[in-house]
Amino acid sequence: MKLADLPNGTLPVKLPESTFFLLTSQWRKRPLPLQLFLLLCLNLVTAPVVQAASGGELSRDNAYALGLLGLVTLGLCVYLFVVIFQPERF
Amino acid sequence: MDSANSDSPRSRRQPGGPRASRKHTPKVNTKGLYQKALWQAFVKLDPRVELKNPVMFVVWLGTIITALMTINPNLFGPTPGDNLRVFNGLITVVLFLTVVFANFAEAVAEGRGKAQADALRSTKSETTARKVMPDGSVQSVSSTDLRRGDRIRVVAGDIIPADGEVLEGVASVDESAITGESAPVLKEPGSDVASSVTGGTRIRSDELLIRVTSDPGKGFIDRMIALVEGAERAKTPNEIALTVLLAVLTLIFLIVVATLPTIAYYVVGSSVSVALLISLLVALIPTTIGALLSAIGIAGMDRVAQFNVIATSGRAVEACGDIGTLVLDKTGTITLGNRLAEEFIPVNGHSLEEMARVALAASVFDQTPEGRSIVRLTEEQGAKVDFDTSKAEGIEFSAKTRMSGTHLPDGGEVRKGAVDAIKGFVRSRGGQLTPELDTAFERVSRLGGTPLAVCQDRELYGVIYLKDIVKPGIRERFDQLRRMGVRTVMLTGDNQITASVIAEEAGVDDFIAEATPEDKIEVIQSEQAQGKLVAMTGDGTNDAPALAQADVGVAMNSGTQAAKEAANMVDLDSDPTKLIDIVTIGKQLLITRGALTTFSIANDIAKYFAIIPAMFATAGIGSLNVMGLASAQSAVLSALIYNALIIPALIPLALTGVKFRPLTANELLQRNILIYGLGGVVIPFIAIKLIDLVVAAVGLA
Amino acid sequence: MFQGLIQIALTLVIVVILTPILGSYIARVFLPKRTLLDPVMAPIEKGLYALGGVRTQEEMNGWQYARAVLYSNIAMGVLIFFILMNQEWLPLNPTGLSAPTWDTVLHTTISFITNTNQQHYSGETTMSYFSQMAALGYHMFTSAATGLAVGIAFIRGLTGRPLGNFYVDLIRSITRILLPISIVGAVLLIILGVPETLAGPEIVTTLDGATQAIARGPVAHFEIIKQLGENGGGFFAINSAHPFENPNPATNLLETVAMVCIPTALIVTYGIFASNKKQGWLLFGMVFVIFLVLIGITAFGEYQGNPLVNSLLGGQQPQPNLEGKEVRFGWAQSSLWAVTTTATMCGAINSLHDSFMPPGGFSTLFNMFLQIIWGGQGTGTAYLFIFLILSVFATGLMVGRTPEFLGRKIEKREIGLASVVLLVHPIIVLIPSAITLAFPETLSGISNPGFHGLSQVVYEYTSAAANNGSGFEGLGDSQPLPTGLWWNLSASVSLLAGRYIPIAALLLLADGMARKQPVPETSGTLRTDTFLFTGVTAGVILILGVLTFFPVLALGPVAEAFQLASGQ
Repeated sequence: MKLADLPNGTLPVKLPESTFFLLTSQWRKRPLPLQLFLLLCLNLVTAPVVQAASGGELSRDNAYALGLLGLVTLGLCVYLFVVIFQPERF
Repeated sequence: MDSANSDSPRSRRQPGGPRASRKHTPKVNTKGLYQKALWQAFVKLDPRVELKNPVMFVVWLGTIITALMTINPNLFGPTPGDNLRVFNGLITVVLFLTVVFANFAEAVAEGRGKAQADALRSTKSETTARKVMPDGSVQSVSSTDLRRGDRIRVVAGDIIPADGEVLEGVASVDESAITGESAPVLKEPGSDVASSVTGGTRIRSDELLIRVTSDPGKGFIDRMIALVEGAERAKTPNEIALTVLLAVLTLIFLIVVATLPTIAYYVVGSSVSVALLISLLVALIPTTIGALLSAIGIAGMDRVAQFNVIATSGRAVEACGDIGTLVLDKTGTITLGNRLAEEFIPVNGHSLEEMARVALAASVFDQTPEGRSIVRLTEEQGAKVDFDTSKAEGIEFSAKTRMSGTHLPDGGEVRKGAVDAIKGFVRSRGGQLTPELDTAFERVSRLGGTPLAVCQDRELYGVIYLKDIVKPGIRERFDQLRRMGVRTVMLTGDNQITASVIAEEAGVDDFIAEATPEDKIEVIQSEQAQGKLVAMTGDGTNDAPALAQADVGVAMNSGTQAAKEAANMVDLDSDPTKLIDIVTIGKQLLITRGALTTFSIANDIAKYFAIIPAMFATAGIGSLNVMGLASAQSAVLSALIYNALIIPALIPLALTGVKFRPLTANELLQRNILIYGLGGVVIPFIAIKLIDLVVAAVGLA
Repeated sequence: MFQGLIQIALTLVIVVILTPILGSYIARVFLPKRTLLDPVMAPIEKGLYALGGVRTQEEMNGWQYARAVLYSNIAMGVLIFFILMNQEWLPLNPTGLSAPTWDTVLHTTISFITNTNQQHYSGETTMSYFSQMAALGYHMFTSAATGLAVGIAFIRGLTGRPLGNFYVDLIRSITRILLPISIVGAVLLIILGVPETLAGPEIVTTLDGATQAIARGPVAHFEIIKQLGENGGGFFAINSAHPFENPNPATNLLETVAMVCIPTALIVTYGIFASNKKQGWLLFGMVFVIFLVLIGITAFGEYQGNPLVNSLLGGQQPQPNLEGKEVRFGWAQSSLWAVTTTATMCGAINSLHDSFMPPGGFSTLFNMFLQIIWGGQGTGTAYLFIFLILSVFATGLMVGRTPEFLGRKIEKREIGLASVVLLVHPIIVLIPSAITLAFPETLSGISNPGFHGLSQVVYEYTSAAANNGSGFEGLGDSQPLPTGLWWNLSASVSLLAGRYIPIAALLLLADGMARKQPVPETSGTLRTDTFLFTGVTAGVILILGVLTFFPVLALGPVAEAFQLASGQ
């Protein structure tokens, strides 16, 4: 589900529409910091899953690090696919 | 049939000396190159720069992760092993060096390109120009403000501020700054070959009115500067395809390594260190070619520049490697521009001595190479000048009369020239013609030469056979080209007979006689229709369409502006045979890429045998450690160190290119696969073992 | 030992003799030229074209061809799914079998339309005769014909011809190649003792007085297309090890030759299409040599037997490993069959691959990792050329020209599409294997933990991804086991991705090649029909194929071999 699809009421803070414009414009101008931020956000979901799957062998920090590593690997795969299909951009 | 003499200025200079010594041009300043490159290697660690190189970006990311693991070895969960911090630290250092070496390779190539560019640029320093306004007044402006279509006036001593075309005036121009040739060249309007001037050259005498033909920053030199500096270098099609292949290999190995932990955990029962996984990944992905790929491309452009050729795109240089047909003009390319006297054929019952004497008399004042060669031949026949030369008068050749000669002190007139012209001269003096003359004329044509008739007053003495000299060594070069699979087609204005003789002698595959400019385009198009890439050289305005049609068009710097604009390369030395060198550079470029790719992939075998047994020692596959490496840690380190060191070790090869030999494709493949394929399999086994011995001895791991 | 080697050699000699005959016949069928069967088949084909509204003259481009493959396969898949789900109500169900679970049906459907025939069920106790014949047997023809059509279209494109019309190729594959050979083969099998009946199971009383139901059915016709079309889905659970599917050495010989003859012939067909028979035979030779080596490794491993068992027996002579084998075939024919069935993506088995010694596990896995040692019906030959194109690109640069294959330049697009074929396999083998092995208890149901268990899991996904269909077995992969659902669904993903993504890439690649301006050959052109280049290609295939799966091989069969050797 995209963030924009959420009805405004479900979000604790009412986001004015301009926030999205700000985000999209920032995305175009400086994509890297924003991407890193989103990566960390996504990891909030991944890390507990990793920890649960490990059956208690891993500490919370380990799980976060591993979750992040997994996401980085996934990102790297996506990046390489982009290189394969649009090599002119590199 | 044109005449022996020529009244046009000798604009096509014959480059002297052996080919190798002509790799000159602007002195390249390489001082401080390596320090600057080293600095650049660190500047290029910027992720935005690394992102451009998929293979090295993976190594770069890996370095960061291992660096984090050096700080906290148990970052990704408890990891078994001793001295993990030291070990991870060492891995980090080696990975970091791998990235730096890769950046360094690129920086060195760029640095050399920049030095080349600086040398080119020094010819183009900002000057003031005299701009001629539409109302006729002259205004001083900076050369950077000149626009295409502006008219400027230059006088003796000026540096010509921009590329342009001569509208008025005749002047000698010193082009040594860009061509390295010291003799000044005559420039004048109208004539095909001498009307264009290049920015940065110096006018020596007189003055010229020039129409500027390029906007600032768009001239040939500017384009070349951009190309050799590598900053805006667009990747060539081949490079792009190779990038795809490298990305695919990287992705495959990323998947292999990323799926390994759970598979290994299931079998071995303990988790594999992430640092080890990253080491395996870096060892497997094609870092060698990934690190050197852009350096190879930049160095290729640089080599073109060293040959004194300005290329407008890397694509054109690469296309040279694929050339299937070479279309060449006869004069100046296949034959020396000047023809030499070979034989005297007396007619009308005159003896050889008599004829030699008359020919000498007609040529004493002739300073053209043809004239001098006639004098030389008459002296060999024992003829002597039997009149007072100070009282005689030389008659210059003109396009109208098509003959030259001497007014003797006794009032006699000796002439030599085109057979038709001499026939007219003799008839006008009331002399008799003889069928012998036509027979001699035909005989000379059949030999591939130019016939010149000689007469004194109304008496015909004979025909001089001027031989077209095929350039020494050209036959061997065409043989080489043929072995490389390149077909050569000669174009000439000569008649069919002469053309076939020259073609036979030079060893070209095909020729077109009595060729018109339209014929050139037709030849190119018909070859292209067969799927071949065609290269040609040209200098005249009427060559421009053909140059544009050809896949690789090389214009002579002495040529017209139109020709230069239509071409995708300009040869500053105006040496048409250089096309052959450019073909070699193009091929070398591709070979170097292929060789290093093969080498890089072949290396993986040894690296697998080093790392996998070390990684899974507990799985009981220690017997796979065929190299007998000291310990698991030293095995991994040795493989990585090899991986890093091979990059700087191969930088010289990437910069100079794999030596190209004119062999057939199969011979080349056999040779290169032996060196880079088989070598790529064997060398790392030896090198990793040696590094392992050192690592173990030093006690690193 | 000598006798075993003679059996292997004899089979291979028959294959080599058949190859040029069948190869040129296939070329005649698709070029198309006159063939002996014209008078019989031409009217039938005409009728079929009219019935299906096929415009035979219409040439398809890459996308159209790929779409035609996809749509027709989806339509057939829906049909098979419907039949299997409703087999309870449908005729020819003497034992009153009810429908299998939905996931089993889904997996079976996908498995049969992709020419894989991976079976997570026991044929005789799950499928009615109607399901076996109408749903499964029918698909054995169409899925094999689909592969053959794609292979032929690929060869056409590569050699600069238009791709052709999928429906025409599909129909001609069946009417001219699969059906005629199947009819002859089925009759031979019946003569040799394979049953062909619609009667229900025979109930007999055994010597000690118990009653036993002996399953039978319309086996012979099913058996021959199973082999010939490289389908491999057995009528009975134990496939060609069952005495009704493969009663004696004669049927074994016939079935072995049937499964390998079309892929070998297709390489020769390529040579005819490319007007370069030499290259065809060189490639044939290259694959044949790798094939021989793998047979050698496997046979040697089985002949040597299990050192642990042998040391228990204490005999002087090492006893061949006969665990999981039929004594009527012995170690030699079992080894030959195991290598052939994994090489050709047939997937039928006459012995349990799970019981092979590690060299056998290595060879069978190796075959399916590479997918080109003969390879699947049509697609295997196409994959071979993908590797050839990659070799041309990597090494062809070394002669200083833009690499060309058959006079057509290999550029970005070709490398991209070839890479897709190269990439799909590790992705759909390694990723699901890694996930399954991460949760071995909940997902896999491995019977032999350790190195062998790893091989079991990887084998299952590789078999699915390579559209082979053979099972290493020993996994809890069928319903109603708790892990059955996971296996059915995850294998389905590998099956689909392993079939249709490469097919689409192959067709697009061939289409692009066909449209390229051919470059005339000169002495500067790298010749691809030389010993040297064929050797280089073999090197590239081994390096690219093996390096991808080296860690898995090292931790699976190789580690197991070391473990056995050390006597633990």
